[in-house]
Amino acid sequence: MEKSNKWTVRDVITTALLTVLLIAIQLVVNMVCMANDFVSMVLSVGFTMLLCAPVYFLMVSRVHKRFVSLAYMTILGLVFLAMGNWYLLPYYIVAGIICEIILWKNGWESKKKMTAAWTAASLLYNGVNLLPIWFFWDTYEAFARASGMEQSYIDSFVSYYTSPGWLVFIIVFTTACGFVGSLIGSGLIKKHFKKAGVL
Amino acid sequence: MQCKNLAVAVKLWALLCAIIGISLTSDTVLTCVLSVLGFAYLATQKNRRLLCSFGIFYIFLAALLYLIRFHNLHMVIFSEFYVLMFWNLSPVFIVAWDLITTPPGELSAFLSRIHMPTPIILGLLVMFRFFPTMKAELKSVVRSMRNRRLTALGQVLCHPAASCEYVIVPLLLRCLQIADQLSVSALARGADYPGVRGSYYGKALDWRDGLWFTLWTVGTAAFLLVGGVRL
Repeated sequence: MEKSNKWTVRDVITTALLTVLLIAIQLVVNMVCMANDFVSMVLSVGFTMLLCAPVYFLMVSRVHKRFVSLAYMTILGLVFLAMGNWYLLPYYIVAGIICEIILWKNGWESKKKMTAAWTAASLLYNGVNLLPIWFFWDTYEAFARASGMEQSYIDSFVSYYTSPGWLVFIIVFTTACGFVGSLIGSGLIKKHFKKAGVL
Repeated sequence: MQCKNLAVAVKLWALLCAIIGISLTSDTVLTCVLSVLGFAYLATQKNRRLLCSFGIFYIFLAALLYLIRFHNLHMVIFSEFYVLMFWNLSPVFIVAWDLITTPPGELSAFLSRIHMPTPIILGLLVMFRFFPTMKAELKSVVRSMRNRRLTALGQVLCHPAASCEYVIVPLLLRCLQIADQLSVSALARGADYPGVRGSYYGKALDWRDGLWFTLWTVGTAAFLLVGGVRL
């Protein structure tokens, strides 16, 4: 039987619930990682993408329709807008559109396409840390100075995003975490959720 | 004491003002003006619980910021950057949390009155009820794990991946069950019906709403005027 692409009440509620769970996991991981500068600046995004992958896989597999990723990314962008980073809203909408393009032709039925979509999302998620430094450096520096940080400390704090070696490491690490998370996510879906009959 | 909620329209306006204020200001330390306005706003609504919890958190942040700025405090485990970030975001946290904890009936009545599409109303209500629901679910998962002796520190440290799985799988399954139950409940209450929904809890605007609408408008404008605007 051909399944309609029109969203039902259940789809809306499932997407909203799992999107908030994804955002809550991201915020909690980021807050825990704030304890240490290195973990916060270098590893936190990777950890986030690793932990969120199973939830994303479940959401896409369960709703089984287009625009789930776009809805999730838009809500994420709105959360960043509320935190004063308005430029992350259009950025995440574009990231959501890229995920939708990858998943366009029944991507929710293909493990490979979902893995590709989440890996791309993981790569693009780095924007949350990099965009303020690349495009809004003056604002970022003024904020850091206002917080009481000395110039030398600011320089060492942001050196992870300004030195090419660290930058490559962060991007590769985050993307790899997203990819590994996708493999774990698809494994969990097969092991638990399909067996439980919820998909 | 029972809370005296302001109208949802005023709460949304307050949130918008707080977001505009923290996004455009060039003096991040001065956002305390908006936070003080936020605390007064909570006090007017007699929301003592929120006032106390946010108040203690804000005093702690203020003490840290004072030590960082005037006594060169450098913390080993928490960067100064994040202290100012939380300080700066506090007005949004205060107003947003007050909005999130508004009774769902009042929210849906307002959103329906302004002809918000049903999927958005449903999505927003689910999001706003997420935190209390998930708190209860997480507690029940941890209790089950404790019964099976899976929460011991040794067990968690030796098998971190398995421990994560024990938490995330039942939590996700419960999320899906909740989504199904909510969908059935929403459909049974006419979520698919295209008409405007009313509510027993929908309230008309009164003078207090007008006063707070004006206070947030004037307060944010004055804050941006004094603190300066970055574009």
